[in-house]
Amino acid sequence: MIFFVLLLFLVLVAQIAELFIPALPWLYNAHVYIVPVIVFYGAMALPFPLMLALALYAGVLLDALTVQVIGGKVEISAGSSILLYGVLAGIMHGLRPLFARGHWEVHCILSGIFTSLIVLAQYLMITFRRGSLVFNREICWQIGTPGLIAMAIAPIVFWLLQWMGRMTAYPYSPEGRQYK
Amino acid sequence: MSRTSIIALLIFGAVLGYFLSFGPETTQKFKASVYQLLAPFLTGGSGIKKQITSVRTGLRSLDQLEHESAALQVENRELRATNQGLRDVEHEVNRLRHALNYRERSVFKLIAAEIIARDSSTWWRTITINRGRRDGIETDMPVVTDLGLVGKTTTVSDSISVVLLVSDENCRLAASVEGSREQGIVSGERTTTGLTPLLNLNFLSKQADLKPGQKVYTSGVGGVFPSGLLVGLVKSYRVRELDGQAQLTPAVDLSHLEDVFVVTGRR
Repeated sequence: MIFFVLLLFLVLVAQIAELFIPALPWLYNAHVYIVPVIVFYGAMALPFPLMLALALYAGVLLDALTVQVIGGKVEISAGSSILLYGVLAGIMHGLRPLFARGHWEVHCILSGIFTSLIVLAQYLMITFRRGSLVFNREICWQIGTPGLIAMAIAPIVFWLLQWMGRMTAYPYSPEGRQYK
Repeated sequence: MSRTSIIALLIFGAVLGYFLSFGPETTQKFKASVYQLLAPFLTGGSGIKKQITSVRTGLRSLDQLEHESAALQVENRELRATNQGLRDVEHEVNRLRHALNYRERSVFKLIAAEIIARDSSTWWRTITINRGRRDGIETDMPVVTDLGLVGKTTTVSDSISVVLLVSDENCRLAASVEGSREQGIVSGERTTTGLTPLLNLNFLSKQADLKPGQKVYTSGVGGVFPSGLLVGLVKSYRVRELDGQAQLTPAVDLSHLEDVFVVTGRR
């Protein structure tokens, strides 16, 4: 439980930190996203109910900080990020046995792909509202780069969180199974 | 799947359904309340960021400082000359205004605000400022600097507000071109390639033939932006199938903004 609370706190800190990390102008103003990596780690480390709680919490934060209401219209409805996080974290949770056996590489790659999927889903939603589907090089970079960055930082974040898990004596098998 | 998991899934679904049922007004309120909760962290984070930046910029070499000082002296002389020129222009404008019985130039009530965060996501161009409802700010108020238009407020909490920049595709405003009768709608682009975003002035006539450097001002149509605020300068003009379109360079350098003013009304 301490580890779960710690993850909630880290998601909050990362979400605020993202607001202060400038977009990367040499990569078509791509943004750096840390929260999805933490959430996807939580999806692998936590039992199903807590994984859903973490996805819900991260989704609410993401919705609150990104969704814009302009001229009385909402471009991405509140709750869409919760759904995205819920589905993607659910898929990640399904690969939990692999992670428990020490195979992190799949999850690092998937964290990157899923981060890009979140950005892509946001783009498709705003495109649906604004019309004119545009897919140029800039947009591809803006969708792809956050995923690549997430993929690159995932091993470090995972290692740190694993260390924190050990420090808080988190068992990693709260559903009664011991993976070997 | 265990019973606990099923119950958790049902609760998750119920909460998700609750959020999805939010209308624009509820979403606005929800967003404002979360921003209010995060306000101390955002202002604190902004302070830390400024300290880090000031330490980094403080570590300049002597050569750089000397070079900068020389450049500033030149700039100072230029500004003095410009200032003198502007005084003459001001005098002439006042004289002409009086002569033509023009309406006295609007003077706005301004609230100074500091930017505490910017661009919270990939697809919206926004900044967060350290003023909110407590300071008299409301939704859809124009935000300016001494150089021109910055954007308009969208989400307003008690102590902080989100400003949608003029470079966002969704921030549309009616504008007119200096020295012509051309009017159009300015909007930002969905993506920007460089540091400086460009604006599009759409729905111009095909005969507009705008020249680079012509100034574009808000026309006051639409109710949000008062007339006469400088939006940008024409960079290029092209004729499309049905209308003309000009690309504008924003009057304000939106990527290096630090302080802005919120227009709360007329004095």
